[in-house]
Amino acid sequence: MADVQVAKKEAAFGFGKKERKLLVDPLNDNNPITVQVLGICSALAVTTLLDKALVMSIAVIFVCAFANLFTSLLRMYIPKQVRMIVQLVIIAFLVTVVELTLKAVDYNIYKELSVFIGLIITNCIIMGRLEAFAMANNPWRSFLDGVGNGIGYGIILIIVAMIREFFGKGSLLGYKILGPSSDFLITIPGYQPNNLMVLFPSAMFVIGVLIWVHRAWNRKLIDIS
Amino acid sequence: MHSTRQTIIFVFIMTAIVALVLSFMSTGLKPVHDKNEAVYNKKAILSAVKDQIGDGFDALTDDQISDIFTKQIEQKVMDMEGGFISKEDVMAAGYKGGMAENLDMAKEKKKPESDRLLPVYIYTADDNKKYYIFNVRGNGLWDEIWGNIAFESDLNTIAGVSFDHKAETPGLGAEIKDNKDWAGQFIGKKIYADDGMYKSVGVIKGGAKDPVHEVDGISGATITADGVAEMMKRGLKYYEPFIKMSKKG
Amino acid sequence: MGELVNIFIKSAFIENLALAYFLGMCSYLAVSKSVKTAFGLGLAVIFVLGITMPINWVINTALLSENGLFGMDLTFLRLILFIAVIASMVQLVEMVIEKVSPSLYNSLGIFLPLITVNCAILGGSLFMVSKEYNFGESVAFGLGGGFGWFLAIVAIAAIREKIRYSAVPGPLRGLGMAFILTGLMGMAFMSLMGIDPAAF
Repeated sequence: MADVQVAKKEAAFGFGKKERKLLVDPLNDNNPITVQVLGICSALAVTTLLDKALVMSIAVIFVCAFANLFTSLLRMYIPKQVRMIVQLVIIAFLVTVVELTLKAVDYNIYKELSVFIGLIITNCIIMGRLEAFAMANNPWRSFLDGVGNGIGYGIILIIVAMIREFFGKGSLLGYKILGPSSDFLITIPGYQPNNLMVLFPSAMFVIGVLIWVHRAWNRKLIDIS
Repeated sequence: MHSTRQTIIFVFIMTAIVALVLSFMSTGLKPVHDKNEAVYNKKAILSAVKDQIGDGFDALTDDQISDIFTKQIEQKVMDMEGGFISKEDVMAAGYKGGMAENLDMAKEKKKPESDRLLPVYIYTADDNKKYYIFNVRGNGLWDEIWGNIAFESDLNTIAGVSFDHKAETPGLGAEIKDNKDWAGQFIGKKIYADDGMYKSVGVIKGGAKDPVHEVDGISGATITADGVAEMMKRGLKYYEPFIKMSKKG
Repeated sequence: MGELVNIFIKSAFIENLALAYFLGMCSYLAVSKSVKTAFGLGLAVIFVLGITMPINWVINTALLSENGLFGMDLTFLRLILFIAVIASMVQLVEMVIEKVSPSLYNSLGIFLPLITVNCAILGGSLFMVSKEYNFGESVAFGLGGGFGWFLAIVAIAAIREKIRYSAVPGPLRGLGMAFILTGLMGMAFMSLMGIDPAAF
């Protein structure tokens, strides 16, 4: 779990070094997926195709940012005994808003994502940020922290989805790029996309290798236990 | 520390606000949701005759889909004996709207075979040719699969198919929906042999041998492909009373 | 009865929540460092899934559906009610266990709050809705799904205990390896795909 950072009395809407750190940190040193290992479930299920991953990322950024904002606004008033349930209701509320909106805007994607939109609720990144950050910081910073973590999560999701869609189906966002027949951009006769890449286990391999690469490059993250 | 009373008040106010906002949103967006759902269904039915509609099928807007559906599709609901059912009876069976497109085929599949209702869609193309679209439903690897099969007016030759699924594996079982080349194989296949025996269309792993009654399987998705063959064999048989009656005249 | 056994077996092995749908991965990866703790969490998950699934089924059919108590379509409240039921059930279970068996509470207690945000629980309830199970089936699905998850976490914990003594490349140590192992286990479970328990 991430460290709890306590905000000092500063301008409520400033954008200095600290605010920048809130946005940038989750992209690398404190990435929700490869470092904190939160929110894996949805990362695995929706990364078979890039368009699903994009929609999911946007949804998570939205929910994470606003759940942080609302929790932070209410943090003085939330009774300690029911803290968990209150946080969950805030998240579930936002997720329902996302679900209703998506159902109205793009019914096809809504059908494809099905239960996984609902599962944003149990995306531990959001719960984790509420507990570790929003309960102790001012609304503006909490909002930035939510956006940062949402983006950090989204980036990994998009990388994984790109790898899986490209190698698994030879396409990106549905545009055919590499394949055996002439309707692909690059044609290699006899080329077969690797079906394993669109199956669940490959998500595990891809994320495992991503963690490997990330930690080999950023060696301070190596697990020494 | 908060007292129990404060806690209760807080929870109560929050629940009220959340429920209010959500019900407001849900009611406000319901017409859009219903329309999206209706268009989604219509598009699924029409995609069985998408070659007949023309090249631009995938680019059609929602309004165009609804428009084609109202103007060129005649829809009927049938019982298992092949008799047509009136709109009122369909509504009595629990479907508001009473049209074939309102039928919930997942619900019908759970009923005993003899009680089921079947939709029949008759598409009249721009050149006045008629196509009959039948609905079939079965089981894939993970969950249900279903499809709309369009027939030429001889009610024997397949003019087009569109399959869909609830939860098949993307890239494997889901190819029944995504792989247009695979679905294209069905076009021109016949469900009756020359002597009039019902044969349906088989999906054969390793390559079709019979050019009239078989298509190739999907590599890595044998169970889903077998499911397609099974649902077509069983599902199209349900329409036999209708086919026989139509042929008689 | 046979139907229920089928659903149990299917949800435990063939459609394993952890290894086929990859649900509940956060706690699966975080708490699978030793077999003992994994065992405790696994038991708690079986328990909570087994309780929340039927309750959510009742809520969904009796309150939220169009034919329910209020006579209107309230499905937009589904997510909130489901998660509220899960959170309060977890809290209730925690309190009951604390009163009845303090020793069990000590070994299980720390994992219970974690379960609320275990997507296997909410995922199970949402799958139950989308599969349109009836009451009995939802109980079987809950217990079977929980049992499958239990098996998966105990298995990975056992492997991780052993692998601690292997020469894994530094950056891959710990989590990276856990991911790849889970992928391999998932592949193994894929070989069960499509088996129809009714055929036996």
